[in-house]
Amino acid sequence: MISAALAYSITQALLVLVLITGAFIVTRKDLLSLVSTYQMQSLLLAGIALTLYSVEESPMLLSLAALTLISKVLVIPYIIKKIQKQINIPRDVEFHYISPIASIFITIFLILIVYGAFTNILKDLALSSLFYLGAVFGISLTLMGMLITFSRKKVITKIIGYLTMENGVLLFSLFITELPFIIEVLILVDLFMIVLLATILAIGMDSSIEAFQERFQHLHIEDLQEKLHLHRKHGGAN
Amino acid sequence: MALQLYLGYAIASLVATQLMKTNRSMNLVALSHVLACIALAAYSLNIGPAHYYDKNFLIDTLSVYEIFITGTIFFFAIIYAGGHAERLIDLGLMDKKNLKPYYLSLNCLLMFTVLSFASNNLALFWIFVELTTFFTAFLIAILNSKKNVDASLKYIFVTSTAMLFSFTGLILLFALSESATGKGTLNWDELLANAHSFPPVFLTAAFAFTFIGFAAKSGVAPFHTPLPHAYSKAPSAVSTIVSAVMLNLGMTGILRIYAIIKQTSAGPAASNLLIAFGLLSLFIATLSMLHQRNVKKLIAFSSTEHSGLMLIGIAIGTPIAIFWVLFHMLAHALIKAVLFLSTGIIQRQYNTNNAGKIINIFKMQPLAGTGLILGSAAILGMPPFILFLSKFSILTQVAAYSIPLLFVMLLFLLIAAAAFTNLLSEIFSHTEEVKMERYNAPKRMTAPIVILLVLIFVLGIYVPNDLYVFLTKVVSDLKF
Amino acid sequence: MIDTNYIVYVLLNTALFILISPLYMGIVKIIKARAQGRIGPPLFQQYYNLLKLAQKERVYSKKSSAITRMTPYVNITLILTASLCVPLVFAPFNSGGIGNIILFLYILALARFFMAIAGLDAGSTFGGMGSSREMSVSSVIEPITIIVFAALAYTLGTTDLHQMFQKTSQEMTILNPALILISIPLFIVLIVETARVPVDNPETHLELTMIHETMLLEYVGRDLALMELSHAIKQTMLMAIIINILIPWGFATQYTAIAIAVGMVLFLIKGTLLAAFIGVFESSMAKTRLFGLPNLFVVAFFLSMLTIWLEVFK
Repeated sequence: MISAALAYSITQALLVLVLITGAFIVTRKDLLSLVSTYQMQSLLLAGIALTLYSVEESPMLLSLAALTLISKVLVIPYIIKKIQKQINIPRDVEFHYISPIASIFITIFLILIVYGAFTNILKDLALSSLFYLGAVFGISLTLMGMLITFSRKKVITKIIGYLTMENGVLLFSLFITELPFIIEVLILVDLFMIVLLATILAIGMDSSIEAFQERFQHLHIEDLQEKLHLHRKHGGAN
Repeated sequence: MALQLYLGYAIASLVATQLMKTNRSMNLVALSHVLACIALAAYSLNIGPAHYYDKNFLIDTLSVYEIFITGTIFFFAIIYAGGHAERLIDLGLMDKKNLKPYYLSLNCLLMFTVLSFASNNLALFWIFVELTTFFTAFLIAILNSKKNVDASLKYIFVTSTAMLFSFTGLILLFALSESATGKGTLNWDELLANAHSFPPVFLTAAFAFTFIGFAAKSGVAPFHTPLPHAYSKAPSAVSTIVSAVMLNLGMTGILRIYAIIKQTSAGPAASNLLIAFGLLSLFIATLSMLHQRNVKKLIAFSSTEHSGLMLIGIAIGTPIAIFWVLFHMLAHALIKAVLFLSTGIIQRQYNTNNAGKIINIFKMQPLAGTGLILGSAAILGMPPFILFLSKFSILTQVAAYSIPLLFVMLLFLLIAAAAFTNLLSEIFSHTEEVKMERYNAPKRMTAPIVILLVLIFVLGIYVPNDLYVFLTKVVSDLKF
Repeated sequence: MIDTNYIVYVLLNTALFILISPLYMGIVKIIKARAQGRIGPPLFQQYYNLLKLAQKERVYSKKSSAITRMTPYVNITLILTASLCVPLVFAPFNSGGIGNIILFLYILALARFFMAIAGLDAGSTFGGMGSSREMSVSSVIEPITIIVFAALAYTLGTTDLHQMFQKTSQEMTILNPALILISIPLFIVLIVETARVPVDNPETHLELTMIHETMLLEYVGRDLALMELSHAIKQTMLMAIIINILIPWGFATQYTAIAIAVGMVLFLIKGTLLAAFIGVFESSMAKTRLFGLPNLFVVAFFLSMLTIWLEVFK
């Protein structure tokens, strides 16, 4: 439909934007923007799949784009936002092991390593330069996600890191080869499971201190009230 | 047909567990599931070498062997779990309403483990392994404590992250087969057949990526970090299963992809990678063991140590080495079961895993104490226990490969032995009187330990010839 | 070679810079004022300010040395020299290499150096504080600036600004994602070099919140006029780089009077738009803490690395 050169530029632009969203997630501290950034990232990924479809005309890419759109742009962020409301923390302040600046430098370093390694590995595949860019950016996104997962304390951020990793693997698979559709579905199933389990567990872990204290106080007050009742019953003064 | 029958039975037992109400009944259903699993293995053994169920599922000799081991371990673990769960509920450590999810997860875990062993398609193998991770994490978190949830989350994140790298490796394998043969495939037998036509550098990269995920599952350093926490916090039956079966799962995966790469000229590079990781595991595990005061964590690091040993055995690559690695899988599984089941009883008695607080163990829990001592001796590779055979033979093969490597390994294994001795002597030297009520472990918890102790003793002295023949066949089927 | 083309270039470029720069400063101030609900100064107020200042007498602190007397002149000289590196409307045929980016950057650095030591010279606390802050900020931004310009050079294939502008004006492709990407770090460099919000607040009167302004505290009269003018010219230079790289239409490709006139008008318009954009950008942000600045710089760094990768993969 569109000319190959235009599709090339669009894909290039989209890839750059995807990597920027990845860097955004690595450096951002407030949680609400993390989920929105992830949504944007998945949207861009669906966009890349659609652009590739317009060039290669394989129906699998279309269904992949649709699947990504539904699951990663709509469903999973919805689940996470619901969980976030329950946990009620706005910012991931001081809850990271590596400062955002150091994270960006590590990211750049990782991308360089990926580029160096893949020059050697992929020369047998004879990919076009755009596909090569996509593959490198895909693995880089995966490594960025891994960095987020391991350098943050809050579980929600770790989940977003894992989701970013899956996006990276998806991006990589789009450009390296045409995987059978069933495999993409598999990875999606995996994603759902892990996200569901981790979010359920996260409610126990991440709940804000106030919520815990509330519960604690609630019990304490009940305890006190009981004592008061007994005290009054026995008619004691003071 | 047999696999479908097994699958049907597995789902039926899930439904039955959902309908049951008491611990005993759910336990019986789970046991029957295990028996179905063992029956599947026996049947597959009977009907001959390899049987395809649909192109994607294959039960070959390696699968049969692994399914047998899985069934055995699950059998003992579930019998134990019956008594253990009751005790946990009595102590308030587990919610009564979590009993049903507990058994459901155990059943699902068994089902998915068997399915993953029976997978020919590596992508299916991958997803089933991920599902086992899911249910394992759920089982680790089943107790009421925040630390359990913490350990479970750590386990999920480390393992799933590593498995994503494996998935990348699978994508690379697919691209590899596509560029070499024109038709991309992830079926293991097809990959094995076409291995010689794959470009080596690419294949090494694919191997390295795929290795990461399965290594994390096996507890290879540096991906072993969630395991000490997971093993010490989870209920003992779960620890047994994770330590014995999941480790075998990871090792099988590594073995299968190593079989592919061994056929090509990239074999030595893969060997070096495996040796590096094996040595790293030995190094980290044995040094961490030295200062451990927690019995379960010590055993957890011992798992990492044995993963390292098995990796080096696989890396050597000679048929004899692979033979004994396979034997080691069985030996290690049985002995770990003894260790974890014993420490489970000890934990219920003293409410702690800390060696400093375990006092007068021979008076309070003689069986568990014996289990701990004999199990530790066995895991270190002392004759006449079963592990001696495999450990000794693997070390012999290492000597034939490289003497310096042998000496380094011996050093680490010596450190491991020292660590165990250190901890055990601390435990068993506390003989002062203690005012504690003796916990009468039910027969369901003590019987498995006794049977397993007998097994590891007997098998150490007399290994049936059939087993030798069978394992030789497994090795040749893997084209080593 | 000194030929007429070159002399015309020098005269025209310098004159344009001196004439236009206060206008752009004024536009930024008006936009910011409007954003704050005020009407703001008249459009040519900055010119009136400069003229007024030029007529006032100069006062020097007793403690100051020749540096303070020298710096305004050194500064304006260096800035005007640097302005030769950045062609506004047309590039000379034979620039003899004066358009080199490294030369440009380090002339600016030299000017900043003189300003910093002059700030120290009077012996007042605020001067010293301002100099040290300015130096810390610029030492952090310097490697970033180099990388940004290196990315620019890599994209356009040359380190000479004159050739860069000629290249972009001749090819006139706006859909080059690398250039769009690199304009963001260039904009960040502009903000930092001209000491605007979020790096520094140029309209603050509180010495404790100043970074750049403290170095100007000691100047009055003609000196202050020169310093203000050089600041304005520096801003226009950096604006010109962004404009001529990103929106090069109007840059004279032929050496004719019509092309140059059209170029001047178009540059005026584009510069006004960019100045308005700077005003809007400044109004929409708050000044960041000093220690929060590296975050901003790292964004510039990351984006320039991205640009380099995009070009590597071509």
